Amino acid sequence: MKVIAIAVTDLRRLLRWRANVFFLFVLPMLIILLLGAAFGGSRQARIGVAGGREDVLAAKFVAALRQRESIDLIRYSSAGSLARAVAHGGVDAGLVIPRDYDARLGRGLGVTIDYFARPDSVAQQLKTTVQSVAADQGRAFAAALLVQRRLGIDYPSALARARAAAARTPAVRVLVTDPGGEPYTSGTGRFQSGASTQLLLFIFLNSLNGAAWIIETRRLGIGRRMLSTPTSVRTVIAGQLLGRLVIALLQALIIVLGSLLFFGVSWGNPIGTAGLICTFSLVGTGAALLIGSLFSSEQQAGPVALLLGLGLAALGGSMAPLEVFPSTARAIAHVTPHAWANDAFSKLLQHHGDIVTILPQLGVLFAFAAGLISVALLQMRRALTA
Amino acid sequence: MRASLVILGKDLRQRIRDRSALLVAIIVPLVLASIFGLIFHNAITGKVTFTFGLVDQDHGPASRAFATEVLTPLRRQGLIKLHLEPTLAAGRSAADSGKVSAVFVLPAGLSAAGGHGGHSHVQVIGNVDEAIGTQVAQSIAQSFANAIDTLRTVQAAGVSSVATTGGSRLPVPIVLADVSTKRRQLDAGTFYAAGMAVFFVFFTVQFGISSVLEERRDGTLARMLVAPVHRRSVLAGKLLTSLVLGCASMAVLAIATHFLLSAHWGNPVGVAMLIVSGVIAATCVMALVATLARTPDQAQSWQGMVALVLGMLGGAFFPVAQAGGLLAALSLATPQAWFLRGIENMTGGVGPSAVLGPVLAILAFAIITGALAFARVGKLVAP
Repeated sequence: MKVIAIAVTDLRRLLRWRANVFFLFVLPMLIILLLGAAFGGSRQARIGVAGGREDVLAAKFVAALRQRESIDLIRYSSAGSLARAVAHGGVDAGLVIPRDYDARLGRGLGVTIDYFARPDSVAQQLKTTVQSVAADQGRAFAAALLVQRRLGIDYPSALARARAAAARTPAVRVLVTDPGGEPYTSGTGRFQSGASTQLLLFIFLNSLNGAAWIIETRRLGIGRRMLSTPTSVRTVIAGQLLGRLVIALLQALIIVLGSLLFFGVSWGNPIGTAGLICTFSLVGTGAALLIGSLFSSEQQAGPVALLLGLGLAALGGSMAPLEVFPSTARAIAHVTPHAWANDAFSKLLQHHGDIVTILPQLGVLFAFAAGLISVALLQMRRALTA
Repeated sequence: MRASLVILGKDLRQRIRDRSALLVAIIVPLVLASIFGLIFHNAITGKVTFTFGLVDQDHGPASRAFATEVLTPLRRQGLIKLHLEPTLAAGRSAADSGKVSAVFVLPAGLSAAGGHGGHSHVQVIGNVDEAIGTQVAQSIAQSFANAIDTLRTVQAAGVSSVATTGGSRLPVPIVLADVSTKRRQLDAGTFYAAGMAVFFVFFTVQFGISSVLEERRDGTLARMLVAPVHRRSVLAGKLLTSLVLGCASMAVLAIATHFLLSAHWGNPVGVAMLIVSGVIAATCVMALVATLARTPDQAQSWQGMVALVLGMLGGAFFPVAQAGGLLAALSLATPQAWFLRGIENMTGGVGPSAVLGPVLAILAFAIITGALAFARVGKLVAP
């Protein structure tokens, strides 16, 4: 009961300031907008194409590209404007079709299409798609070259034969499935797990800012006054922890619900996600409590919180997927709570798991939280009774 | 001015004594740069090795060609590792358990179907957690399928003596040349380094300006104000502390990422201009937030929130402009977006003149937020 009273008093102290409401709850709405726009809604990757307007074959190439489901194709009038659009992220990748596309293919010469993209995973996926369209479009020409070589006939008649043959030869398809045999989904369009990894980074970094609040409470002597009443250190700390936890959870709730309702960002099984976010927030607030008990001024706690908030997020795969990490970094990654939480999110989102399947990850996160809180408890007892 | 410098000197000494200056200016940027260097190393050098499985149900010339002419060269180059899986079920469980990134399945009759021009397919079973590896597997399978297609077409055109192989000697009429690195845009290392650096600086400058609130709480601000020191001098001293700490930490981060991430920051003069203007903009906006707060704790949590939102909006984490429309326009209201654009403009050895536009945009942001902060300075620097 006392725990709740302390938490409520803390929250009241915090919310008495209207500006706090703005910064802690209204600003996360902007994050919804960002995550929603970047990771929700359209699953198509945007590709810009310059050139190849007049040529028949080039137009066929562009039309084939446009037909791909995963691609949203945008035309640009010049290679320069396309390059700018790619550099500024207006499109994910750009293709420049050379002026002599038709002429060269018609004469049996190769053409080179320039492809350029931003350094991100969407670009990787786009390149594969564009390559497959290029191979498909080039099939008859490749065959014609072989026919010409083998039969010793001139190129135009070899091309005519190859085209006729290509029309009646069914193509070998590449089926990409998940282990269950369903079509593979997370590889198409935008990088699906982006929203969840960003949420973890946000929850943790923001929870750590609570360290300053803990220091402030101690400095004001509130903790010591509470201890002069028949209240144990444990109760005081539990109350403070609960207050910060409520704030972290509210912020996460705003982001998850907002991005789900307005942008259709998928968050997986609701109970599993709720359990994961609660546990991870507990780790974050526990870490804040520990930092708050270790340092005596905000000036010292701030940089440490920043380092942990960004460093652990990067190590734990919240900035780049663990998949591209070198093996040593991958091994180290699991000393961070982020890596475990990202694993759990992957189970929920990619494997359609629920709270039972993520129990091992939740267990580890609980252990993190318990460890942090018990060290904080020891340290805080010393700090408060010193 | 003298008073401001005295305050700057006192602040720096104080921060050096409690070691927070050392943390902000040197340790935090160095540790972060090392972490980025560690995790992004493979992604940047392109030395990611994927592990794939192979289920051969075909046992014909096509599957032999796939193994010897497609996969073996890739394995020799160290780009992939290969596990042979005896059955489809074993392949599935390998992809499911995360033992491999993806499994190639060559179905029974692939070679035979090739000979008779019948329907056939190549299957890729992807590990759902390894989207990039699965993409690579798909692209390998696709190029193999294309080779089969070409050879079947040639056979259908009446040339009989072509073997059913996925040889690499087939003509490729339409070549896709990846010229990403020659274009005026950032390589992965520079993108991460610059994005993180500009995100980071909005946190580091907080430690100077927010100390006004601490001085007020501790009663030392009131004492400063009864001395013959103008309020503006006090504020200027605090702003200078932010600028010094911000510039130092950015410089350390830039130099460290240059070596650890092989980030190409570009012309040093241009980089210095961007860093200084970025630090000024960050200081101004954080000063504005500080004028709204009453306690150091409030200031810190609000500033963290603002830095996070501006950083995400400015594209320090993911390219926001891909969302298009309003958000892309909104993104340009942040100094982070202009900072990144400035670094982009300098790629390919362009001189410092390329950053003039972005620097002006960043300074415009600094002037607007700085003017607002200045208008409210009475609230901040008051006993």
